[in-house]
Amino acid sequence: MIVSFKDIFKMTGILIVSFCAVFVCALFLNFYLDVLGIEDMITTETGKIFYEAQCNTAKMVSALSGGCLLLTTVVLLCFYVGHYIDTHKKQLGILKALGYSRIAIAKDFSVFGFVVLAGTGLGYFCAHLLMPYFYKVQNKEKYLPQFEVAYHPGLCMALVVFPAVFFALLAVGYSFHRLKLPALSLIREKTVQRVVKAKKESDLPFLTELKKGNVRQRKSLVFFITFAVFCFSSMMQMSGSMDELGSRMMGIMTMSIGVVLACVTLFIATTSVMKANEKTITMMRVFGYDAKDCTKAVLGGYRPWAYLGFALGSVYQYVLLKFAVRVIFADMEGIPDYQFDFPAMCITLIVFVLLYEAVQFVYTRNMAKVSVKEIMLE
Amino acid sequence: MIKIENVHKAYGAADSRNEVLKGISLDIEEGDFVVILGTSGSGKSTLLNVISGLESADKGKVCYDTKDLSVMNEDDLTKFRKEYIGYIFQQYFLLPNLSVDKNVKMGADLAGNKNYREIIKAIGLDGKEKKYPHELSGGEQQRVSVARALAKKPKVLYLDEPTGALDEETGRLVLDYICKLKRDLGFTMVMVTHNQNIADMANTVISMNSGKIVKTWHNERPKTAYEIAW
Ligand SMILES: Nc1ncnc2c1ncn2[C@@H]1O[C@H](COP(=O)(O)OP(=O)(O)OP(=O)(O)O)[C@@H](O)[C@H]1O
Ligand SMILES: [Mg+2]
Repeated sequence: MIVSFKDIFKMTGILIVSFCAVFVCALFLNFYLDVLGIEDMITTETGKIFYEAQCNTAKMVSALSGGCLLLTTVVLLCFYVGHYIDTHKKQLGILKALGYSRIAIAKDFSVFGFVVLAGTGLGYFCAHLLMPYFYKVQNKEKYLPQFEVAYHPGLCMALVVFPAVFFALLAVGYSFHRLKLPALSLIREKTVQRVVKAKKESDLPFLTELKKGNVRQRKSLVFFITFAVFCFSSMMQMSGSMDELGSRMMGIMTMSIGVVLACVTLFIATTSVMKANEKTITMMRVFGYDAKDCTKAVLGGYRPWAYLGFALGSVYQYVLLKFAVRVIFADMEGIPDYQFDFPAMCITLIVFVLLYEAVQFVYTRNMAKVSVKEIMLE
Repeated sequence: MIKIENVHKAYGAADSRNEVLKGISLDIEEGDFVVILGTSGSGKSTLLNVISGLESADKGKVCYDTKDLSVMNEDDLTKFRKEYIGYIFQQYFLLPNLSVDKNVKMGADLAGNKNYREIIKAIGLDGKEKKYPHELSGGEQQRVSVARALAKKPKVLYLDEPTGALDEETGRLVLDYICKLKRDLGFTMVMVTHNQNIADMANTVISMNSGKIVKTWHNERPKTAYEIAW
């Protein structure tokens, strides 16, 4: 086996994200299915409206967070598989040269599906643990008749097994695509990553040049970071409004997903940038650039993108909630037209800035600890 | 200026312990040109790392004027290197994502050196400024690494095999230019080399063998890069 289980441990990011996705979706979709079953038993007018709203929010929340998380998992997985191939090019090239076919090598990458399976299974299980309580909270005004948690095998298939199979196939397909290079060029390729040159020479200070060079080098990370902050910003801000529109529970859930997502992606992105720049950082330190300069040059280039993600997230959640209030809750009384929640944005922004700067700070601190020779020998 | 007293350095844990430096003492005057000779694995690079503050010694003292490196923390050492040290590595260690010009600029910016392009020209890299390290030959990469260290205008320049990948002609050109800058700026130089002939250019020659200095001698009249044999 080329891809070992040890490699899988490095993919905790995917595990966490798929856990969150399935947890939320299972909770709301199971609720939705159970509510569907009691539609005929609802007699009161308020009950009917409440029922409609519940169905719609369940759909919206699972579509929104499920979608966000699904996209993140796809990106993460491609990132991991790509990274794995990049760092193991030589071995893979030798296998190819020995006569293993592309598909024979690629099919080993299906183990990545197990990680997803672990995440989704765990998420589904935990969702079921929480369900009795969740049902109680959702129906605390007793608009709906009493109903119990039911087990839906179809849902289990769709949320646990299907994603695992899908991601296993995705991993195989993606690695198959990446392995199309001839064996020799895989073996010979010395640099782990190819160099993306500047379009035109500029005459800026070295640190600025390095910053620009880094962003140029790893464009996928730009997307990654922007997306993470986008999710964080929209979900955090939305969670405030959820309190008024839906339930407190939904608010807390959206918020935790936002935070988890942001932390996981930010952590993975930052680690990979730092890892890729280890040699550069060492050389800078040898020459006498201090740790702060190094982090600034290596990570600083992504800051504008992170803030762009934040702004986009704010706009997105505003549009989405405006739409939700106009369409989904149109018949519900007592729900005011949605206004942009400025304080919520400020709080989210503060939390974001603190989180982002804390990550930078931690990395600067840790870098100061690594001795120069240590990295030089690697 | 640089005073090294009874420096010891070992790698590895108890049973596989490998003593690389076994009590080295050395005095280097300001403006000196010291060449270190020795067989492969005798500890030359390690000695260079320890004197330049890249690695700490297990035992012994390394002092610059009044500064004692053995008591400095990583931050102080970084500041010290910024102010004092230029380093040319055996393995070049260029930044792969940046052009030749920017690689040299890395050193130049630390010293506020605006004329660093002159150095690139002088060591025969004219016209290669926009190339990236992977597009250069080994010798060209080595010269970029030389230019980067010189552009920093160091007080002490450490060179680990700076001509290892160069042919005779470029080797002489680079050495000659380094010596010219040394005269102009007055820095101190410590060079590791396998080329015995280069030792004729130095004031002081040190011969190392398995972690010890076995012989030291001085040249009354150091030769120039074009006078030595190759
Ligand atoms: N970080 C390290 N860990 C373990 N052993 C090391 C380390 N660095 C150097 N050594 C060992 O120390 C010895 C001396 O190494 P050093 O690089 O100083 O030799 P050198 O004289 O520069 O040789 P060369 O002329 O080949 O460059 C070698 O035997 C090497 O294996
Ligand atoms: Mg050496």
